[in-house]
Order: sequence, then C-alpha cells, then structure tokens
Amino acid sequence: MLKTENLRAGYSGDDAVRGISIEVAEGSCVALVGANGAGKSTLVKALCGLIEPRGGKVLFGGKNIVGLPASEIARRGISLCPEGRHLFSPLTVEENLLLGAYPRLPSFGPFRRTASGDLRHIYEMFPRLAERRFQQAGSLSGGEQQMLALGRMLMARPRLMILDEPSMGLAPILVKEIFKTISSLRATGMTILLSEQFAKSALLVSDRAYIIERGSVVLEGTSASLAKNPAVMEAYLG
Amino acid sequence: MNLDFLALAQMAVSGGLMGMAYALVAYGFQLTHAAGKAVNFGQGELVMLGAFTGLSLSGCGLPYWAAVTGAMIAGALLGWFVERTAVRLALQQHNEGWVLLTIIVGLFWFSAAENIWGREDKPFPVPWPESALDFFGISVTWQELAVAAGALGMMTLIELARRYTMIGIAVQAVSADQDAAELCGIRSRTAISLSWAVSGIAAAFAGTIIGPVTTVGPTMAAALTLKAFSVAVVAGLGSSFGLLLVGVALGASENISGFLLGSGWREAPALILLIVGLALRPQGLFGKKIIRKV
Repeated sequence: MLKTENLRAGYSGDDAVRGISIEVAEGSCVALVGANGAGKSTLVKALCGLIEPRGGKVLFGGKNIVGLPASEIARRGISLCPEGRHLFSPLTVEENLLLGAYPRLPSFGPFRRTASGDLRHIYEMFPRLAERRFQQAGSLSGGEQQMLALGRMLMARPRLMILDEPSMGLAPILVKEIFKTISSLRATGMTILLSEQFAKSALLVSDRAYIIERGSVVLEGTSASLAKNPAVMEAYLG
Repeated sequence: MNLDFLALAQMAVSGGLMGMAYALVAYGFQLTHAAGKAVNFGQGELVMLGAFTGLSLSGCGLPYWAAVTGAMIAGALLGWFVERTAVRLALQQHNEGWVLLTIIVGLFWFSAAENIWGREDKPFPVPWPESALDFFGISVTWQELAVAAGALGMMTLIELARRYTMIGIAVQAVSADQDAAELCGIRSRTAISLSWAVSGIAAAFAGTIIGPVTTVGPTMAAALTLKAFSVAVVAGLGSSFGLLLVGVALGASENISGFLLGSGWREAPALILLIVGLALRPQGLFGKKIIRKV
C-alpha cells in the first residue's frame, strides 16, 4: 500500500533521512523504532507532504505522491497524528473531530448531520470525548488530547494511519491505554505505521518493524524476530 | 452648561455611530491576521476603491443595493489580488516583505483612483431620507443609523459564517495550526485567500457606507487606514467586540476634539491612541497575541 524508495529528507543542512526504503502492506501494522533524533519524525513528515523530500519516491497505492501538498495527500487517505498531537486548541472537541472529516463535509450545509454517524462512532469508542464535546481542546488532559487526536484521524476514514510518537509525554498507564487502542484498531483491519521510541511496546503491537539509526534503516524484519534479537533489546530497552 | 453637555453628547453619538465603520475596517485586519499572520496596510485604499466602484455603478443607473453588491464583489477580487501579489510569496519565504508590498500596492490603487475618478471629492447618493430622528434632544440621521447598522450587520454576518459553517471552522483551524489543518485535508492556501477576499468585502462595503457621510475621494484612504489601524492596535486583534468598542470610542473622541479644538484636530485622537496603545499595551486591550513588530 505504501512504499518508499531511497527517500531522503531534512530541514536545513544535512539530510535527517538518508535514503530510507520501507514498505507497509495493506492491513498490516508496521513500526519504526529508533531513538530520539534518529529521523523518524522527519520521515513521516516527508511521507505526508509536510516537508518536501529531497530525493527518492513515496508510492501510495502505486502512485508517486512526492511533491503533492499535505492536504492532497490527506485527501488520498493518509492520516498523520503528528508528534505533539497538534490539536486545534482554541476550537471545541467536536469541532476538532468535524475537521478530521473536512473533505467529506458540506462547506455550508448541515455538516453536523452529515457527520453524525462518524461522531457517534468516535464517542462510543472514547466516551470521555463525548462528555467534553463542547469544551476547548486545549483544556483537555494529556490522555484526553491523545484520544482526541486519534478520534480526529479516524473521522477522516483513513486508508493508512501514521502515528508519530503517540506515547510521548503520557503517564505509563495512559501509554498502555493508547497501545490497547492501537491493537484494537489493528484488529479491525486498519493499516498502521507507528513511529515509537519504546521498542518493546511497538514490537508487541506490530507485524513488521524497521530499526532506524541516524537516518538509515539498520535492521528490519518481523517484529517477533526483532523482539528476540538481543542487540535490539539492549539498544532500545523500554 | 446644559446646552454644552447636549452638544457634546450629540457629537459623541454621531461620532460613535461613525466609529462602527472604523471597527469594520479594522475587522478586515483581524480576518487576515488570524488566517495568515499578515495585514493589508493598503486596507484604506480598498475602502476607497469600494466607495468609487459603488459610486460608478450607481452612476450607471443601478439601484443602491445593486451598486453595493457590485462594490463588494470588486472588494473580494481586490483583497484576493493583494494576497496573491503582495503577501503570499513573502510569507512563504518567512519574511516581513508583505508590510512594504501591501503599502506599495495601496499606493498603486491610490494613483489608479486619481487617474480614473479624479481628485475631487464626490457625493455618494443614498436612497434614505436626509431627515434626522430625535432621541431626547440628540438628533440621529438615517445616514448615521445606516452606517452603524451596516457595520454591525456585516461583522455579525462574517462572525456567524466563521463559527457556524464548516468552511469558517476550517479557516479558524488554519489560524490555530496550519500544518494540522493541512493534515485534515484543508487547503490552507485557499483558506488564507478566502480570508483576504472576505476582508476585501468588508473594506469595500465599509466604503459604500462611509462614502455617503464623508464624500468619496482618493484621500479618504490614508485617513481610514490610520484610524482602522489605531483601532486594531488599541483593541488587539483577538476580539471583534473589542474592535467595536474602541471604534466607537475613537469615532466619538475625534468628533468631540474637532468640536472643542477646531476641525484641524479631528485626526489627532487616532494618532494619540495609536502611540499610547503601542507604548502601554502592545498586545491590545482585548488582545492575547502581540501584533508583529512592524
């Protein structure tokens, strides 16, 4: 479904992503594991069009999407939950969710009615969001914000979900909760690309994984085999 | 004494009603600042062009409302044009060139207006009566009421659209976090262009309601930019209600200072407000965000 070929990307100066080739098959959960600053975030931003790659290809459903604006890539079905969540904090919880479904909703018409089915689904999944639907997103707790970020992605009915550091800044009990949500999404057949520092949890929830160091893939394989690899476990205890 | 008080009250009321139009022009600043963090320093020129367009259209025999609608369409195109020519490139390169560029485009509009319509101030005919209503000894003309109602109505309409249509919420999302908006499939550039077009509509509409009071001429632009900018700086660009309040206060105080000190002093309060506002409270009375240093 998603494939990168020798992708290079970065901000100013040196490339932060130095020729990475990965593949995410339909219906699978793939993890990108690596330390802070290994280039994972740069890689997912390049996939989504938030930064323009310097070289290489990104194929989504067989078509090269390099150079498309982020909004266009989102409309094709790739949904990114960025590091740090990036909610629309002055807007309400429900408005945030509605914005997730923006391309599907009428610009002027009764958008709440059009989205009501999807909204109900999200509120069943995360009852806390239903309680706080008219509250400002910025006033939510960290865990609730992460739920909202996931909910906003799901509103888009994505073909591929990319989660960048979903556990960042959360208490251990909430991290557990998030990974539970990820594995239940995976069980529904959702295709997921997960970028994570915590190797143990990431390998537990994924089918395949890539270990990334200094902008390159250093190891790849099934998550089960990587989890048994002592070198991996030593380097990325967590 | 009693008479003096009544005269002052009269000045304050008619000035305050006029001040709502300043608030509307300042609201145009707020719209583009929220979406793209830039404002049009030639906004007064758009007001002037809106007034001239309306005047020309009604000169062609169109009824008043059709002329106003035509001016608003012209305003939308002009606002969009300013964003495309003077603002977008500068913002993409993360520099402040838009400040100078919007001023230059404004100067261009000014010369164009002088060449097309001439330098003389022209009257703007309106369909309502010249007469005035009397409220406890204070007279309010239909014209003044039209200015206040028009400014209030236009601001309310735009605010409702921002809050209760999906496209309005999307524009708010772009102001809050442009990258996140893109990730939701919102075309942020289109949203910013739209904000500039709506800002242009507000400016042109302001021209068609101010024009009948002040008469229409190329020189109306500079004074209006200054007044609207003072209102925006003093109120801050976060609150539409704040803009209205400060607009009314400015309108009232310039009328009173013109009455007490002579008509040459009419423009003084706007300048004083601007300087005091910038010195004491650069984020504005009602503002949360600091206006970019310009």
